[in-house]
Amino acid sequence: MKRIYLLLLLFLPAALYAASDVTQLEGGFKVGPAIILILILSLFILVGIVFRAKDTTDYYAAGRKISRVGSGMAIASNWMSAASFLGMAALMYDVGYHGLAYVVGWTGGYVLLLILMAGQIRRYGKYTAADFIGDRYYSSSLRTIGAVIAIVISIAYAVGQFGGIGLMFKWVLGINYLPAVLIGGSVVLAYTLISGMLGVTKNMQIQYIIIISSFIIPLFILTARFDYFWLIPPIGYGSVVQDIVEGIQISEKSGLFNSLGHHFAIVPSPEYAMPWDPSTGQTFFQWIAIAFSLMIGTAGLPHVIQRFYVVPKVSDARWSVVWGLFFICLLYWSAPAYSAFGKLLSANPEVGKLAKDAIVVYTAQLGDVHPLIVGLLAAGGVSAAFSTVSGLLVAGSSAFAHDIYVKVINPVATPNLQLRVARVSTVMMAIIITILALFDLALIAQLVAIAFSMAGCTIFPLFLLGIWWSGSNRAGAKAGLITGSIVTLISLTYLIGAKAGWNLPWYGFVSYYLGAWYFAWIGAPLAILANIIISKLTRETPVEIRQFLIEKVHS
Amino acid sequence: MVETEDYRISFFRPTTHRARLNRNLTVKLFIAWAVAIFGFQILLRIIEKPVPEEGLISFSAAWEKIETGAAEITDYQAAARPIVQVLGKSSLKDSEYEALKDALGWIVAQLMPDDELNELQKEVIHLNLLRNQITSLKDDGYIKSKEVVGLKAGSALGLENGSLLALLLPLGLDNDMAHVSPENKMKVSGILSTYMIHNRSFLTDTILLGFPFHYFYTAVFLLIFFIGLCWFYCYRTDRVHARLNFTEQTT
Repeated sequence: MKRIYLLLLLFLPAALYAASDVTQLEGGFKVGPAIILILILSLFILVGIVFRAKDTTDYYAAGRKISRVGSGMAIASNWMSAASFLGMAALMYDVGYHGLAYVVGWTGGYVLLLILMAGQIRRYGKYTAADFIGDRYYSSSLRTIGAVIAIVISIAYAVGQFGGIGLMFKWVLGINYLPAVLIGGSVVLAYTLISGMLGVTKNMQIQYIIIISSFIIPLFILTARFDYFWLIPPIGYGSVVQDIVEGIQISEKSGLFNSLGHHFAIVPSPEYAMPWDPSTGQTFFQWIAIAFSLMIGTAGLPHVIQRFYVVPKVSDARWSVVWGLFFICLLYWSAPAYSAFGKLLSANPEVGKLAKDAIVVYTAQLGDVHPLIVGLLAAGGVSAAFSTVSGLLVAGSSAFAHDIYVKVINPVATPNLQLRVARVSTVMMAIIITILALFDLALIAQLVAIAFSMAGCTIFPLFLLGIWWSGSNRAGAKAGLITGSIVTLISLTYLIGAKAGWNLPWYGFVSYYLGAWYFAWIGAPLAILANIIISKLTRETPVEIRQFLIEKVHS
Repeated sequence: MVETEDYRISFFRPTTHRARLNRNLTVKLFIAWAVAIFGFQILLRIIEKPVPEEGLISFSAAWEKIETGAAEITDYQAAARPIVQVLGKSSLKDSEYEALKDALGWIVAQLMPDDELNELQKEVIHLNLLRNQITSLKDDGYIKSKEVVGLKAGSALGLENGSLLALLLPLGLDNDMAHVSPENKMKVSGILSTYMIHNRSFLTDTILLGFPFHYFYTAVFLLIFFIGLCWFYCYRTDRVHARLNFTEQTT
């Protein structure tokens, strides 16, 4: 109970803030949504306590007792972060059809993951990406680098999540973004420290059900309220898209208004749905580069790969991808509907510029959905971010405590000391992530896309070649990692430089072709090429590794 | 099962019959995956054509006359309507919004006698002031002021009372309608071209289940296709394993 009181206390200061202003969608402190949020987070902790992991094998691999469908739900919950819940609709609201590159990228990658890696990774039998890299490339230094990369990717991934948590806390508590990120960051840290080692996989299944329900219920209401086909909202919103393209005159939908009293009408806006429209400033090349980078990033993300260890059999690992993708698609089919309704309901200039990353919640508000259901929606967004951040913080701190501290710094560390190091590193990571989130560098989905490109440039080539080509050796792996890291550094330098106002050479060329959200389109092929060339020129992979590959992974 | 003793393997040179079958299946699915995603987008890119909205065509002709000083009332009206339409697009950038407001106010001013313009200008200033003061968009005074401005400016532009454009118009007028800055005047044509020319083809103009076809394909069908590919891979792999009486080992 003390833990629940702790969460309640964290919300109290917000009650000091002013009451809601009727012209603002933000408004003040919202009691109903806050209670729903607290209840949901408490439920997760309760479930975690009931299904507490008994040991590290149980924690990492859930005792390898999870069914295909259950594992699929866990994959989906683990996957569906603030970027999926809030970020995708935000992108489509902002740049229309271009945003669909993210939808395709974040789902199409699972096909690659399945046909190229899932079964093989399960057969290889390592718990973490660093373990695989260290073992397959017979190198403790590569294991350490792999752990560092996993931590960096986790941080990059979590920055966007903290942004989403900040936005939702801002909305629920009615405060500014900065204190919202600080409060949200504190709550997610407390939540992770309390529930970090608790029944993760079982919790993920429950989180999935809450996340998907909270996301889809308001869509039924919106489609029904505005006279669209409401039985299947992911199909019903098609007419909304077409209405946006052609425009809706007041006489066509007379009697329908948004919550601010504006007519349900819009001027013809084909730019919303037409491909790479000039008004969005996005091009065909960027669409392709983003989709490709996200797909290979999906197949290289440590916390995604890790999910294949929780199922009993290799075939279960494969089938869990099918179920996982299906559950993910339920949300991805629906996200564009929010952006379409958001576009229509905020069409009147009086609505003003809305924070794009909160458009899912604003859409429900503008659609006059009941405040408690909007609260549930916001709580779903926070849950999506919490489930992912919690997993990322645990994965990052485990990588530091297990793969760096114990393996490199202090091999004789006691289990208690390891646990303390893991906790301290969790807090350190949360602080770093909070600071980065305060800079508000980009939209949530774009920030998360950076993590995908990083994974695509570094981990994906190591897994792909490590599994499918015995000729890939330690030197090749290092060459590939260096190449991928250089591309990553160049891209991120130009991103940070642009924000800081640095005068960098060839800015236009580099920022376009090595854009921070999609630099893996070239980084990954270059890393693979470097790996192959150097592997060919250096000493062959030891026979015991080749034998393991052929007998255990491919036979 | 292992047909080689040097333990060298690669995706392209499988060492067992099962591995060969898996490679062939993987290659087929990979090609289907790549064609479905990238092939379609490339096709979309190849066949698309930049198509201007109707309003832009009428605007271009009218704007040319305005710039050469040969415009009549109908030309001003024809130029104003697309500007109001673009002002109603929420994706407009702030600087573009200000430029269009500046130009729109000036066009309205060209269509009104001085005394009516002065009256309208006062009402617009009042409206813009109210907008910063009200606590609710449903404020009676604010709504009334919008109606007055909409009625006067709308009739000058020949907009139907109560139409969407007439409702948007009061929000697109600034406090100095008599003048337009030369920079803003120069920008108008470019802004309208940016927002009123779109890449279109039969794939974007065909409707399927309410969607523009290309949108349905990318947002709905591709995801179904991905699930189908994954399902097919698992199904075929299980079938092959059963046929070869093969049991997968785990470590």
